[in-house]
Amino acid sequence: MLVALAWRNLWRTPRRTLLSLLSIALVVAVLVFMLSFQLSVYAAMKQNTLKIFDGYAQFQPKGYISDPALDRTIAHAETLARDAVAINGVTEAAPRVDAFAILANGQRSYGAAVIGVDPERESKISSIAAMIHMGRYLGPADTDAAILGDVLARNLALSVGQKVTLLGAARDGSVAADVLRVVGLYHSGIPDLDRSILEMPLSRAQGTFAMTGRANTIALGGPSLGAVNDALPALEALGLQHGVSIVDWSTMEPAMRDAIALDISIGALLYLTLVVVVAFIILNTLLMSVLERTREFGTLLAVGMRPSLIGQMVWIELLGLALVGCAIGFVVGAGITLKLEHYGIVFSGVSEIFARFGLPPRIYPALTPASALIGPGAILLSIALGGIVPYVRVVRLTAASAMRAT
Amino acid sequence: MGAIIRCRGVEKIYRQGAVDVPALRGIDLDIESGDFATLAGPSGSGKTTLLSLIGGLDRPTAGEISVDGEPIVKMEKNRLADLRLHKIGFVFQAYSLIPVLSAAENVEFILRLLDLPMHEREARCKEVLREVGLEGLEKRRPSRLSGGQQQRVAVARALGPKPAIVLADEPTANLDSKNAEELIALMAHLNATSGITFLIATHDSRVMAHSRRRIEMMDGKITADERQDATVAA
Repeated sequence: MLVALAWRNLWRTPRRTLLSLLSIALVVAVLVFMLSFQLSVYAAMKQNTLKIFDGYAQFQPKGYISDPALDRTIAHAETLARDAVAINGVTEAAPRVDAFAILANGQRSYGAAVIGVDPERESKISSIAAMIHMGRYLGPADTDAAILGDVLARNLALSVGQKVTLLGAARDGSVAADVLRVVGLYHSGIPDLDRSILEMPLSRAQGTFAMTGRANTIALGGPSLGAVNDALPALEALGLQHGVSIVDWSTMEPAMRDAIALDISIGALLYLTLVVVVAFIILNTLLMSVLERTREFGTLLAVGMRPSLIGQMVWIELLGLALVGCAIGFVVGAGITLKLEHYGIVFSGVSEIFARFGLPPRIYPALTPASALIGPGAILLSIALGGIVPYVRVVRLTAASAMRAT
Repeated sequence: MGAIIRCRGVEKIYRQGAVDVPALRGIDLDIESGDFATLAGPSGSGKTTLLSLIGGLDRPTAGEISVDGEPIVKMEKNRLADLRLHKIGFVFQAYSLIPVLSAAENVEFILRLLDLPMHEREARCKEVLREVGLEGLEKRRPSRLSGGQQQRVAVARALGPKPAIVLADEPTANLDSKNAEELIALMAHLNATSGITFLIATHDSRVMAHSRRRIEMMDGKITADERQDATVAA
């Protein structure tokens, strides 16, 4: 009864109701689309950045994240890697030797990270193999091959086919020295990466740096970052058995984590403002409607309707308005998002800036449960809570004073 | 018959700024079950105020009021609402129907508050609308009814829950003479046939002519209380 009456009351002033619905729908549509877009940007940033080198998670020796010394190693790396891929959500586990050496070519020498990788497994976790723009990536049969960033190669005046000498300290403190043949150069577009990494075959690196059977890290891959994140508890348990830690993306990329957190905070402030503004507009409209109907409420009280029941009716009117507005806004916002989910949005002219943040030039907003529900939920909640004001106003009415109202 | 309404020493003072304005000054009144009584008097004499206090719409400054034996002056808000719903029907000068509900829905709305099952509601709704002569107009909204028809809907709404008493405040004031006379005849007929008690605040001499008891008010006091067969000085 109350619902039917409330619904009819809403349509007493169709123009006012339509305008209110439009305001709610507009804000909800904006929230659904913007949140979908924003969350997709974060997902793309994380996915792309982690895919370049880190992997979605890593096994590391305890304390390695703060002190990545060569002698902090995972003893039975292959066993751990094999056990890791048995966990649901993890499809790849690539052990790595993460060493540091002086690279030299003739008179030129530069310090660089020397990463020992298993080419086959590594290429499924890291996109460096796909960034080779000269020569080729490491192959399973390679023994003395190396690939390096094009900036590093330029600094060392190296090109494909030439030899590079590396000189560093091995795990046991001995001198690690090797001569490798450059088989490929990669270009990631990230200057730090392009000037600081050389990759060589894992077994060769283990020999050079006295790391036989050992690794410094094991990079993990899966069908998606979310899948690996979901597997973190199982990975943590496995790590404990092996005396190592599991490190997730936010620990590996704290700068990206902080940037995303900051962006979320700024976005949340903006969205909150929108929600509060629209909630105030709707509440103000309903309060006007309550004032206009004070005499009528007096009649309802006089004929025996309890004040709380009249308050509920007003509250249902408000909630009905919010629900319909949110539904319309959701359909519009989700519709636009789903359309763009298919075609993507191209931000022409900013592809280089995007690349610096690990973003592709075309962003595909994706409708997720979070992006679909947060906006409408916030609007509904704020309007429902705000509805306490007209409710209390109505409940406090006395029949005599209400009927005297003009 | 016993008193359905009993007022003892009822006073009402309205505060207007710093000034106290007495609206009722010590009213003692009994309304018997089955009465068809009018409250007459000039504007400001306290008729509407007395009706509001008897109906529990407002509280007196002093005195006691009981409806069907229940003291209402200190009654809690919700209990008072329930008492109005079950025992008191109201008819107002301005009809005061819910504009978004049809004639039948305006009546049924009150019956729903009583939690009556649907078949009982529908039957009662038909019955009272027939009693007030609105058959065939059940689905019309108030905006599509004449003033007289709207006031009949208001009477039907008041009668719906089978109240102990109907309080009417200037029910004919907004009606033309034909509709006014029809409404008076209707109320008198309902009183005569169903024994429903009516207490009507009015200026209308036609209403007074139909009443079996005429209570005169002046300056917040009852100045005369006349029955068909006797006149009692207040």
